Amino acid sequence: MKYLLFILTVGCLTAACATHQPVSIDQALMAGDDEKILWRQAQAEQRVLDGSGWLYRDAELETYLNTVAARLGASADSPDIIFNIKVINDPNLNAFAFPNGVIYVHTGVLARMENEAQLAALLAHEMAHSICRHSLRVLKSMNSRPRYMAAVQQAVGRIGMARELARLLGVNGSMAAVDGYTRELEAEADRVGLDLMAKAGYDSRQALNLFEHLQQEIKDEDIKEPFFFGTHPSVQQRIENARRWLATASSAQDGGLVKSAIFRSKLDRLILDNADLDLRIGRFEIARRSVQTYLDRHPNDAGAHYMLGEIFRQRDGREDTAKAVQQYEKAIGLDPSFPDPHKAMGLIHYKVGEQQLARKYFETCLLLAPEAPDKAYIEGYLRDCLKNGEES
Amino acid sequence: MKKLVLLLMAACLIGGCASAAYKRSLEDLPKHDFSVEIPDGWWKPQYIKRYLITKDGAYQQYVLIQQRPIDRPFKKTRKKLRRGMLPLESAKVITDEIAADRNIMNFSILENNPAAVDGHAGFKILFSYRDKNGAAYKTLYYGFIHGDSFFNIRYAAARQNYDKDLADFNRILRSFKLVNR
Repeated sequence: MKYLLFILTVGCLTAACATHQPVSIDQALMAGDDEKILWRQAQAEQRVLDGSGWLYRDAELETYLNTVAARLGASADSPDIIFNIKVINDPNLNAFAFPNGVIYVHTGVLARMENEAQLAALLAHEMAHSICRHSLRVLKSMNSRPRYMAAVQQAVGRIGMARELARLLGVNGSMAAVDGYTRELEAEADRVGLDLMAKAGYDSRQALNLFEHLQQEIKDEDIKEPFFFGTHPSVQQRIENARRWLATASSAQDGGLVKSAIFRSKLDRLILDNADLDLRIGRFEIARRSVQTYLDRHPNDAGAHYMLGEIFRQRDGREDTAKAVQQYEKAIGLDPSFPDPHKAMGLIHYKVGEQQLARKYFETCLLLAPEAPDKAYIEGYLRDCLKNGEES
Repeated sequence: MKKLVLLLMAACLIGGCASAAYKRSLEDLPKHDFSVEIPDGWWKPQYIKRYLITKDGAYQQYVLIQQRPIDRPFKKTRKKLRRGMLPLESAKVITDEIAADRNIMNFSILENNPAAVDGHAGFKILFSYRDKNGAAYKTLYYGFIHGDSFFNIRYAAARQNYDKDLADFNRILRSFKLVNR
């Protein structure tokens, strides 16, 4: 039974791909054993995620996100689902809901939002998947269509780049995170989500703004993420559905809540942390823009200037070294006790053979951070500087 | 009939042992611009095309040696290794690449220090991680850039067995020599 369920649920991966018949929306939702099994499986997958070391830990931010979710959920008729929003430390554009109401949002998508109404749009869409029991409906539709089972291999192959994530998330998470649901179920999540957003008093137009903004980013940065909000067709679908809903829904809120200031205050730190993740995977331009956005609001943040310097230094393009030096000097000027820009300046001078300057910066760095994790490297470079200084 | 079944089973068993013995060789290790001395008891799994050797199976421990062109893109990070990079800088590219791997959970750098391999300045990183099933591993990773190649030699083992074959790895590491240069 367990194996059969596994095969069936893995088959869910095919639900959003290949050719398929639309899932019947009015199909009876017998929330019996099947749903219990689905929830248990979701909980098991969540345990893996929660213990993976990938969660972004910021209690204040989590409280804020859950407050927004609670506001949205207040008008939803789903007393059995307790929504719980968690953040994954990942720069990709993604968010996904498990059937039991646990929703994971990547730092990458949060960092690109401008206000609380846009956050509400994303959360409401994901909450709608749980409220409308989309996982269960896909599972039930598959029971009557065993040919999906034969397509499992094809589905996993199609996921391609996302295979690793799919393996880690398990079947529930994969379906929600990687491919999304069928077009019809996604359209329903758009509709229900926008309704929730409007009932909670948010400006519904911000949903459209968010999706258009994401689409522009995907195009500008040539993002090729296989994930739901990181693909052009998925976001285009969201845009079309939001436009349609805004044109026809009587509950569409024009001039509703936007709440930019509180949103920014809660997510400021995340923007910088996510920029660091983008920097690590070498998405220099995305990282630069995020840090610049942060610096526009906090021009005297030494850490942000240092990070901008790191982006230039590691990108190592034309004139990047000069730009990096400028940022490091700003960081040192703002906070002379901050060791990292001293180290970075030392490396720049060391590489071009300016031993005296390199020595000055390395010595200051070690003085400020005698137990720096990379102190063995710095000590080695410093020894070279001293040796070369004596020889000359 | 019973005897025949027993005979067949015995033949299969012997055949299986013979083929297992055949697999436990170092014969098809790929050729690169380096040489190492491999202690007794290590073998290369046939299904792996890379320069990978193990004693008890790759899930227990392995030593992997790679030579890759420095301009070959990594799988996770778009950062690239470059000629003239300092070991601290190349170590950063490697740790960023590993940290972005979604097969690796609870990634933690335990040590990151400069190190020389065959006299070439490089780095040494010791890190721990878990796989999806919760199994814990430790990896000791040496790397250096030489010419247009990035060489790395690493020892990975289940965390509880990490120390068991570390001495063998250190022997392999000390014997590492660049050739054809």
